[in-house]
Amino acid sequence: MSIEEIPLSEQQAAQALPPSRRERGLWRDAFRETFRKRSAVVGAVILGLLLFMAVFAPLLAPYGEREVLISTEGLRPRAEPCIHLSVNWIPDVPVLRTAESFLESNGFSCPSDEPQHLMGLDGNGRDVFSRILYGARVSLLAGVAAVSFALVIGTAIGLISGFLGGRVDNSVMRVMDVLLAFPALLLAIAIVTARGPGLFNAVLAVSVVTIPVYARVVRSRVLSVREQDFVAADRALGVSSARILTHRVLPNSLTPLVVQATLGIATAVLELAALSFVGLGGDVDQAEWGRMIALERNQLFSSPHLVFYPGVMIMLNVLAFNLIGDGLRDALDPRLNK
Amino acid sequence: MRQPRFRWLAAFVSLGLIAAACGGDDDEAEDSDAEAEDGEFDALAFDEGGQCGTDGYAGNLAGIEAVDDLTVTFTLCEPDVAFPSKVAFSALGIFSEEQLEETGGAPIDNPIGTGPYQLEAWERGNQIVLNAYEDYWGDQAPIPTVVFRWSEESAQRLVELQSGDVQGIDNVGTEDFETVAGDDSLQLIEREPLNVFYLGFNVDKPPLDNQTLREAIGYAIDKDRLIENFYPEGSIAADQFLPPGIPQYEEGAEGYTYDPDRARDLLAEAGYPDGVDLGVLSYRATVRGYLPQPPQVASDIRDQLAQVGITVALDEQEEGAFIDNANAGNLGFYMLGWGADYPDATNFWDFHFGVGASPQFGTGFDDLHEVLSEAGSTTDEDERADLYAQANGMLMEHAQALPIAYGGSAVAFTSDVEGAHASPLSNERFAAMSLEGQDQLVWMQNGEPSGLYCADETDGEALRVCEQINESLLGYEVGGTEVEPALAEEYEPNDDLTEWTFTLRDGVTFHDGSTFDANDVVKSYQVQWDAADPLHVGRDGLFTYFEALFGGFLNPPPAPAG
Amino acid sequence: MLRFIARRLLHSIPVLFGILLATFVIARVIPGDPCQAALQERATPEACADFNERFGFNEPIVAQFGDYAGDVLTGDLGDSINERRPVTDLLIERLPVTLQLSLAALVIAVIVGVPLGVLAGSRRNSKTDVTTIVGANLGVSIPVFVLGLILQYVFAKQLNDTVLGLPASGQLTAGTIPDPFYEVWGIGENSFFEFVSNIDLVNAVLIWRWDIFVDALQHLILPAVALSTIPMAVIARMTRSSLLDTLGLDYVRTARAKGLRERVVVIRHALRNSLLPVVTVIGLSLGTLVGGAILTETIFNLTGVGKTLFDAITGRDYFVVQGFTLVVAVGFVIVNLITDIVYTFLDPKVRVS
Repeated sequence: MSIEEIPLSEQQAAQALPPSRRERGLWRDAFRETFRKRSAVVGAVILGLLLFMAVFAPLLAPYGEREVLISTEGLRPRAEPCIHLSVNWIPDVPVLRTAESFLESNGFSCPSDEPQHLMGLDGNGRDVFSRILYGARVSLLAGVAAVSFALVIGTAIGLISGFLGGRVDNSVMRVMDVLLAFPALLLAIAIVTARGPGLFNAVLAVSVVTIPVYARVVRSRVLSVREQDFVAADRALGVSSARILTHRVLPNSLTPLVVQATLGIATAVLELAALSFVGLGGDVDQAEWGRMIALERNQLFSSPHLVFYPGVMIMLNVLAFNLIGDGLRDALDPRLNK
Repeated sequence: MRQPRFRWLAAFVSLGLIAAACGGDDDEAEDSDAEAEDGEFDALAFDEGGQCGTDGYAGNLAGIEAVDDLTVTFTLCEPDVAFPSKVAFSALGIFSEEQLEETGGAPIDNPIGTGPYQLEAWERGNQIVLNAYEDYWGDQAPIPTVVFRWSEESAQRLVELQSGDVQGIDNVGTEDFETVAGDDSLQLIEREPLNVFYLGFNVDKPPLDNQTLREAIGYAIDKDRLIENFYPEGSIAADQFLPPGIPQYEEGAEGYTYDPDRARDLLAEAGYPDGVDLGVLSYRATVRGYLPQPPQVASDIRDQLAQVGITVALDEQEEGAFIDNANAGNLGFYMLGWGADYPDATNFWDFHFGVGASPQFGTGFDDLHEVLSEAGSTTDEDERADLYAQANGMLMEHAQALPIAYGGSAVAFTSDVEGAHASPLSNERFAAMSLEGQDQLVWMQNGEPSGLYCADETDGEALRVCEQINESLLGYEVGGTEVEPALAEEYEPNDDLTEWTFTLRDGVTFHDGSTFDANDVVKSYQVQWDAADPLHVGRDGLFTYFEALFGGFLNPPPAPAG
Repeated sequence: MLRFIARRLLHSIPVLFGILLATFVIARVIPGDPCQAALQERATPEACADFNERFGFNEPIVAQFGDYAGDVLTGDLGDSINERRPVTDLLIERLPVTLQLSLAALVIAVIVGVPLGVLAGSRRNSKTDVTTIVGANLGVSIPVFVLGLILQYVFAKQLNDTVLGLPASGQLTAGTIPDPFYEVWGIGENSFFEFVSNIDLVNAVLIWRWDIFVDALQHLILPAVALSTIPMAVIARMTRSSLLDTLGLDYVRTARAKGLRERVVVIRHALRNSLLPVVTVIGLSLGTLVGGAILTETIFNLTGVGKTLFDAITGRDYFVVQGFTLVVAVGFVIVNLITDIVYTFLDPKVRVS
């Protein structure tokens, strides 16, 4: 279980949102509110950048994701960044000039007759910049996939369990408690070791570990909602349980779920990177940032660019979701005085 | 708890066996109480000559006898030219009879030896602390304390070295050679590449059962590209299975060269004019001297094969699972290697391609079996060279393994360590080093030993530690492979090299003060040799090296049916 | 109140049983023959027959679980296959290391996180707020293994010969083997004393060896800092939002209306009450840290629970996997329980559902 969300106990989670809000107006307000908070804006900008990279990678990347350049360019693996700085159209702005001299003095600039590699080459002679761009796809997708899967299943479990109540509810929640008692990373490692390495299994492991979080959140919402008068009214009118669940409970649960999910993506990305780091991540050649760090971690001191760039990308990725999630939480939490 | 009970049981059983043995059965070991009483020496002796060549015994050892308290004679079934090399190996380190008996044949955590260093403490997971033995028979070790630590990450080992917390490290990272060489406060010492990295095939698994296909793959690999880009200085492209440095290495052998056109032709000949999908290339991410960058090399091999139309997917397996699979013959196409244990061709050839070889290559080839058997028992060096050259040709033809590279590696020490060296057998000897102004040298290697009873260990990490503590009859020279006297001052074979007599050093004591004599030698060998001995226990009871060096155990457990 | 405690305890029992079952399943679900994994090269069928007999792997699975459950309840967690000694011995050695690391990380996280949260909360939406929140999030966003490597590079390598130089890894300087306090004091030995003596900082104080204390502290700083970034962000956030909550309450408004300076309002009146949820978060973080310090322990070469567990999973040391996972999970449940009880105790407003 990750630390960030922590519905501390069922009592506290149940206290959160009075159920009788009008959701649509709330959402619009929430969005506006979130992005009035500057840190959330920062997060959104970063996320936008990452999405842009992911979507347009094939256009932006000068080389292929798995293109080995040893034979074609004759460069050694782990070549340092080679940036063409003598381009004339760079405006004569002090900031850019300082950057240029910094890069030059550190040996990153190179003449225009040599092939340009903005971030250098990796251990197999592949262009790091291209792999960073392509890596955005995997990292974003994997994180979102892990959380989506857990969200769907966790919500389903929470809804059913909370609604059925009684012994079913008790047993299911005990099972969730058992899952939560295990440290996330270790459980994920065990799952991947059992199923074999690979990105799919890593994503599966991370999502299984997060299911209980969503189950718990939804279930406590169910508990608080179903005692309400309007639900009794619904029942009296003969509304089916399923409708009650989908039309009353679910909308009410969205708030904490959205916050949880956004923060959850951040944690998922970190956990996937950690799994890659211990060697249980995906395909060797796939451009996944965690994997890129894992392969080159012993070159941290001799070729720091190989660890630095993917490390910064993971950090930005996680930061973006954390900031947005925080912003959402602030905006949607009714206890905060506006 | 189960284990202590087991030990008591073993003790009672052993007493019972000894009592029964005194009944004078021909096949039973004839032994007597080994403790010297009143100056009299009750010699241990074991004679199993009758078993040579019989169905129940696959080994080459025929007898061990303590002729007197300082002389031991070994008798062999067949001549063995490499006998001294084998005897020098750490798995045959000498333990005292008493300790073997006291620990029930498993002095794993607390070995007592005759070596220049004794075990002070083993803090599992943290460190092993050795102190110089003051009553060592030879020159006392100049450095009073040696501490072993470990880390799998080469960058971490380097940082520790650079920060001065550690004075010596193993396996400098490929990219760090330059850094260390350029640093005046450090010394880089390269290790001769006494190993081989190869691509292996299980010839029973289609499509790899096609010999022409395997040959095609041989021509498709650009070894120079691999060496240049992924191996450190001192590494050499392989042209045969033995590395240079092993005496039977064939100069000018013809191996596979990089010839993609020929590869494509052979591929077509093999029935795959449009290319072929081989399935997976399996490997483990573990760094070894013969393979410092497994994922990168695997990736590049995959790319090279793609260029001639051979498709393969990478299958990175977890270390334990990988070894299991290799030993069980589950892998089809894989990357593996071998580092020399002792400097003789038999160490490389027999394990992989000899008669009792591991199933990793599938069904063996009879012509190779024959040549190797002969080469292992011939005494004429020229004849052996010839036979191994023939083996090279056969390996190239059958291509169940493609030697790719001899991997160089290096150790690094701080500049103030005198006598710092690297051993081609990974057998660095700390008693030969000195360090002014400090009483402690900290050495950081890749991993922690699993146990310190070297008879039952195979990992270099363990062997390096126990070699400081226990000595064998002979030893390897510091930093080299030449055999030199150790616990035995001299040795003498008979004319046909089937009988070897060793004269032991006088006045040698074990770390606990007890005297070293011929009975300790006999006992140390015998508990490994006789699988029915109650002290044939060890850590997991495999005694792998004994079996590899001498062919087999006495009274081996029955072979599996089928 | 007592009823609440009793009910929670009762609820914990099936959870504990579930954990027992889960750890058993986890250990068995890991593929690979334990015999092959332990005996590695050429585990022959005979050796394996012996092995399986010795460790009871031949029994039907239900019987194995029964044995296991029974053993656990009597305190027998089995023996480590690879190290041939009781798992409880390993626990006594390794758990203190992780506890020491986790507590140190938590202390740092609190010392830095709480003031950050207060700062951010008292100046809502200002630049300070944004910077501190982004900063705290930055810490948790850097993968701990990258952070650890960077810290090693800076403090162990670059700053090596300076006053700020710190050791790159390990718990104590190589070759140091401190005497356990119970030996120095001449009192008898038992598991509890052993456990305490393995907490290097505590043991050093107990044997009055300040040089060892400083050594242990120096080795602890880098890993604790790296590990602290994870709970720090949570604590900062929690403090901030809790403070904001409290600041909106009536009695605070009254204090403001009375004309008290903002700082007094915040520190004297609001802070104390807003720290309550933070206490709970601290308690929970401890539970998570103990199991999650695996990467930090690996990078800094600390033989704690995480590293041992990881090695055991990959090395197929089943009993260690079972035993350690069990202890960690149970520990987490206990910490949760205590946290809930403490919270309920401290905050009578919470309705017992």
